Amino acid sequence: MSLKRIMKTAAFVVSLAALSAGTVQAKCASDALPVSLEKPGGFPERALTMVVPYGPAGGSGQVAQAMAQAFTELTGVSVNRDHKPGGSGTVGMTAYMASPADGYSVLEHIDDSASAHALDSGRPNPAEALIPLVVSQITFSQIYIRADETRFTDWNSFVEWVKAQDGKATIANVSKEGSMERVTMKFITDATGMKIQQISFDKGAPRYGALAGGQVDALFEQPGDVRKFLDAGRFKPILTILKERPAAFADVPSIVDAGLDFEPLFRFRGFFVKAGAPEDRVKWLQWAFQKAFCQPSYQEYNERKYMNLIESFRDTAGAKELITATIGQYREVYKAMGLEVK
Amino acid sequence: MDIFTNFINGSVALFSDPINFVIFLGGVIGGMLFGAIPGVSMLTLAAILLPFTAHLSAEQGIMLYSVIYCTGVYGGAITAILFNIPGAPENAATAFDGYPMTQQGKAGKAVGAAVMCSALGGTVSAVIMMIATAPIAEWAISNFGPPEIFALVVFGLAVAASVGAKTLWKGWLSILFGLMLAVVGLDPVGGIARYDFGMPYLLAGVHFIPVILGFFAVSEVLVQAEKKATGAYKAPKLSVDFPSLAELWAHKFAVVRSIVIGFFCGILPGIGATLAAFMGYNEAVRWSKDKLAFGKGKLEGVISSETANNAATGAAMIPLLALGLPGGALTAMMVGVFQMHDMEPGPLVFINSGDLVWVVFAAMFFANVSILLIGFLETKTIVNLLKIPFQFLAPLILLLATVGAYAVRGLTIDVIMMFAAGAAGFFLRRTGYSVAGMVLGLILGKIGEQTFAQAMQMVHYDFGTYLNRPIALILILAAVGTTGTSIFKAMRGPAKVESMPQEQGG
Repeated sequence: MSLKRIMKTAAFVVSLAALSAGTVQAKCASDALPVSLEKPGGFPERALTMVVPYGPAGGSGQVAQAMAQAFTELTGVSVNRDHKPGGSGTVGMTAYMASPADGYSVLEHIDDSASAHALDSGRPNPAEALIPLVVSQITFSQIYIRADETRFTDWNSFVEWVKAQDGKATIANVSKEGSMERVTMKFITDATGMKIQQISFDKGAPRYGALAGGQVDALFEQPGDVRKFLDAGRFKPILTILKERPAAFADVPSIVDAGLDFEPLFRFRGFFVKAGAPEDRVKWLQWAFQKAFCQPSYQEYNERKYMNLIESFRDTAGAKELITATIGQYREVYKAMGLEVK
Repeated sequence: MDIFTNFINGSVALFSDPINFVIFLGGVIGGMLFGAIPGVSMLTLAAILLPFTAHLSAEQGIMLYSVIYCTGVYGGAITAILFNIPGAPENAATAFDGYPMTQQGKAGKAVGAAVMCSALGGTVSAVIMMIATAPIAEWAISNFGPPEIFALVVFGLAVAASVGAKTLWKGWLSILFGLMLAVVGLDPVGGIARYDFGMPYLLAGVHFIPVILGFFAVSEVLVQAEKKATGAYKAPKLSVDFPSLAELWAHKFAVVRSIVIGFFCGILPGIGATLAAFMGYNEAVRWSKDKLAFGKGKLEGVISSETANNAATGAAMIPLLALGLPGGALTAMMVGVFQMHDMEPGPLVFINSGDLVWVVFAAMFFANVSILLIGFLETKTIVNLLKIPFQFLAPLILLLATVGAYAVRGLTIDVIMMFAAGAAGFFLRRTGYSVAGMVLGLILGKIGEQTFAQAMQMVHYDFGTYLNRPIALILILAAVGTTGTSIFKAMRGPAKVESMPQEQGG
């Protein structure tokens, strides 16, 4: 399959649901599922353990907390979150893969697990070694500048200004080579011909502080993570890395508007159970996690994090399709970037 | 006047509602208790309470966490002083002189000084927070980018190497060993694995909390066990003598200096109370005329570190509330509490939720005052823990330390790391190396490597451009000056001993 076709498939998978703010609230994705489902053989008789490969305060920690709360509200079953941060998710994944496949242990993970497998097939494939219970957050990225910036005010003037700096302009981004953020920035710089120095920040707060304090010229981020800065009028998006403009950012150009020809990559987060877990337990967990997505508390959380701007829900089949397409997309991108794909 | 009125309104809202008052009291006592137990720190309590805050109002939830933060940082000083086991990394420097004071029968004085200085540092910090949160936060993020923070780290390491070990060379070797541990795991620029030896768990790096617990708690148990086996063990004498006001007044400059250092470290995201305590201690040694007495039970050592770490608490709330930038783990959890109530910390909080901010400010002020009141009451009883025979106390310490090491990330390798650090500490303490220097090298190494990489990217790998940043230049020159002076002193005479906290405390 050609690179272009893989990318188009991935983009199609992500944009199956129309880009429309607020559609989730009207009719929630898992409404069609039964209101209740009998526990198979009494499972679960005790609390579930949710392994989270990141710290409690970041995006993963927060979505794990919100989903655990919604799950408990729905089923009455407690969920103990076990945070195992480190190694860009590798530590948590390794620990989870060592746990028994009995359904009592579930995993929260993000698209990094797919890109890690794309780069090194020795790493677990989340669509095969794991069974996705639900993907509950899918979001896009944007480029931000300070709202009071005077050197440039929109995407076109930004690109012009960056080009004039001859590689001296800076943008705050995550550090990991091959990550969704770094790959997307490569797409952008290749498409525009601009040279910009990316400054590596692993944690969100110093990254946002760097833009707010004028240490860097721009910021690459997802809208939900900087919503407070947008609402406070401190940051301003100048480019939405999607092919169409979401209603909430109707005045911000998309990559098509900016004349950039590449398929956007997405950040997604979901919940998994180990392959090999008893089938009846998996079915019950699928029902519970997918149904929990539509709990009011979870929907409110997703809305607060701008996770309702594109359809965030994928059931098991949809999640597998998304992950498989993403792995193919990253693998082709890595090869094109000259990275060693194992 | 507005500030005073707002403070009064916040205080009235805090104490007029009995539920608020109960939550406040629970936070004060819970923070002290969890802070005092090694390993199960205030972060453990905060993590346990996080889901329950959904059932509280936003004011109550944020206020609870703020109070836990203030009293938790103080609580860890008690076990640091009585048993050489810092309840939290913030209290590691307190053990250097606090524990020798306990061995000399001055536990009451040390705990009393910790109570008073924690309260003082925290209260002053809270007052500054109330007066100038927004301008200070803006100043900090505009003037302290990665180049300046890296320069601050270099300065901190230069000071630590000069004062932490038997000789300057051993001081630098200790720091370098800590720096070496800091580079284990993924590198902060390209995510390249280093020194993982094919073990995925080592990709997460060496965490400083298990290392601190090993160097301090485990090695102390081993040292005391050896003494017990050889008949050299002496149970520490009990005392509840508080320091006199004259004794504390004599250290007024140390207090002021530590407040400034602590506050400054607190407002920088990612730096926080641990570095504040070490820098407060190191500066006290550097400015003292009696450097040799540090590490052997000098009251000023306890005063400097405890004032600085509590001064960092109010300061750490500044970037959180004004800009929405959490500086450490506990303030990051506070962001979670805000979000549970459909709020985001940051500039809009002052506009949309001014009442909440002032309830939190008032609660932090009174939490620090409570340290003074409750601290003195509990000191009289808590020193009686020293009556517990060593054979019962030692297993309890090892058990708590093991739980604490595992609780950090839920990784067995952290427990192994703790015992390895304990064994290493047992031998290193006899040879004049500074385990404090190693811990500081580990903590600052991680911050330093990250900020160095960022700084170099920002100046396009041109060191000349780096030195054009005046604050960074001043700090680098201060580091060079400190190192040069100490080398000159070391070469001028026989190996100078400036302080040896490793002899007793770490």
